[in-house]
Amino acid sequence: MVVNSSQRRMSITAMAVVLSAIASFSFGSSTRVAVALSAFLTLLATGAAIFTTPGLRSSHPVVVRAALTITTVDVVLFATYFFPANTNTNLATGAAMSIVLLGLSFLTGASGQISLGNGAFMGVGAFAMAIWANHHATSPIVVGLLVAIVSGALVGLLLGLPATRLRGPYLAGMTLAFAVAFAAILSSFNSWTGGDSGLQLPTAATPPHWLLGFFDSGTSLLTTNSMWLADIAIVVTGVAFFFMANLFASRTGRAMRLIRDNDVAAELVGVSLPRGRVVAFVVSSAYAALGGALSTLIDNAVSPSTYSFALSITILSLIVIGGIGTIPGALIGGIVYAYSNSVITWITNQTGLNPQGNLASQLNGIIFGGLLIVTMLFAPLGISGTARHLWRTRRRRTPR
Amino acid sequence: MAPVPDSPILALENVSVHFEGLKALNDVSFSVSSGEIVGLIGPNGAGKTTAFNVACGFVKPNGGRVRFPSAGRSNLKPSQLARAGVARTLQGVGLFPHCSVLENVMAGGHVRRSGGFFTGFLSLPNGVRAERGLRNDALAMLDRLGVAEMADRLPSAIPYGTAKKVAVARALMCDPTLLMLDEPASGLDEAELEEFAALILELRVTMGVLLVEHDMEFVMPLVDRLVVLNFGEVIAMGTPGEVRENDAVVAAYLGVDE
Repeated sequence: MVVNSSQRRMSITAMAVVLSAIASFSFGSSTRVAVALSAFLTLLATGAAIFTTPGLRSSHPVVVRAALTITTVDVVLFATYFFPANTNTNLATGAAMSIVLLGLSFLTGASGQISLGNGAFMGVGAFAMAIWANHHATSPIVVGLLVAIVSGALVGLLLGLPATRLRGPYLAGMTLAFAVAFAAILSSFNSWTGGDSGLQLPTAATPPHWLLGFFDSGTSLLTTNSMWLADIAIVVTGVAFFFMANLFASRTGRAMRLIRDNDVAAELVGVSLPRGRVVAFVVSSAYAALGGALSTLIDNAVSPSTYSFALSITILSLIVIGGIGTIPGALIGGIVYAYSNSVITWITNQTGLNPQGNLASQLNGIIFGGLLIVTMLFAPLGISGTARHLWRTRRRRTPR
Repeated sequence: MAPVPDSPILALENVSVHFEGLKALNDVSFSVSSGEIVGLIGPNGAGKTTAFNVACGFVKPNGGRVRFPSAGRSNLKPSQLARAGVARTLQGVGLFPHCSVLENVMAGGHVRRSGGFFTGFLSLPNGVRAERGLRNDALAMLDRLGVAEMADRLPSAIPYGTAKKVAVARALMCDPTLLMLDEPASGLDEAELEEFAALILELRVTMGVLLVEHDMEFVMPLVDRLVVLNFGEVIAMGTPGEVRENDAVVAAYLGVDE
């Protein structure tokens, strides 16, 4: 019997796993590091085997999607071990933002609705997380995140139901109203939201003691905690992206694209427009809230001034730059967000434009606006959309 | 050789539609049964498109009823049509411009239950299986209409005649008992018209076909019955032969041509 290629791949994987385990145990200073290293290599080898198996992409798309997610998360988690504290904090911030962008990418890109209120939905999650943590100091992080998701979904549903009757600029107007009113809503629940000063989390997020072995390899507490937060953010982001990729590929995801492309024809094939629009709105708010909750966790505090209307505009700009309606576009937007400040500071320092060091925050808006204009003029599909378009047209030109 | 029209799939009963005082349709009644091809004709502004839109629920009738006797329903909303076995193509091609041809055809099978939101979100096996089945059926449908090699293209990258076939493929994906074609002949060349006529005759075996059309050379030899509208009223009904002899029709419509 002929051994087929996938069987061969599997045996190579198994061999790689055994070898990596042996290697890491002989290298490792502690058992825990060795376990971590062999787990990393095992996941990497399994992922590589799954990617390179031909035909699996069409026969088992979920397996390939899961492998892509797990392998990527695996590699980034491994990298955080070597990163300095500020890089890890940037990474966590970017990851949280990319979740928010993913929700908006789905709403605007897939279902064709515009929201100017996702900064406020992010705030809903951020405050839900903080309020929950202040009332249940011992509850695990994941419970707080779930509370934030549910809060975001509920507020999204509340606003989404009337929004089904609104189109284009009117829907944008309604979400804009929510974004502008958000600060006032917060201050009218002073006893819950802490007013203008916001809320502190009762305790900083630290790795649980049974995991400490992985995190405290002789480094400072700051390094340990920033790595822990980055790792939480990366895992949550991986899960969020995996499920969103499922949704994009599903019947529901297709229904969204049909509504966006041609709502008359979408109705004729049996898509309910109001239902589709509400679902998209709720998903986008829930994702925004999850991103907001992670931000609270990263900052260890939440302040109402963070979730201003300006943030909603930044979010919309970021997904346009990254590539609206695409999944990688959300990731690109998150990276742009995380590093824009550092890059701008670096530019101003290099060019000597900013001797006092206080110009960066003002330049931020200018450079962001410029980036947005350049994107709209030269790559209206965003970075990811343009890349995909170029790749597709190129493939079509190459003779098969 | 048309079967006897005994069980109507679609029946307009004394339907009237006004647009702010303008009578678009006045007391219009006609029906379509399984196995027959009915042509809806009339001069510009006669109310053909309005009649189509009333049947689809895009326009609510001010009087009368739209019944779907075989499905036991009346006055359906557009999003309920496909489930009741009624498929409609739109004027032009009406495809989803940013979805591939294959995805366009898969869209036609949207009414098949394959799980809701969470099935998709969690990628549960039953949803994945249903999507795979839908994909295969859509490919088979494209193959049946001879346009399978276009599956990965975008609608903007295929010839117009092909796009019209894709639109029909999409309509057929919900296993319709009634197929409504809005100006199927427009924009097609001689050879494509012949192909299209053959296709409609083939489809007629399992369903009723109602079509709105301007091209008389295409309609006359194809249909079993004609419904002629003028100024929102039915002025004649019958076989192409009968309608051709009808004085009112000749005066209102065909006479203009000669």
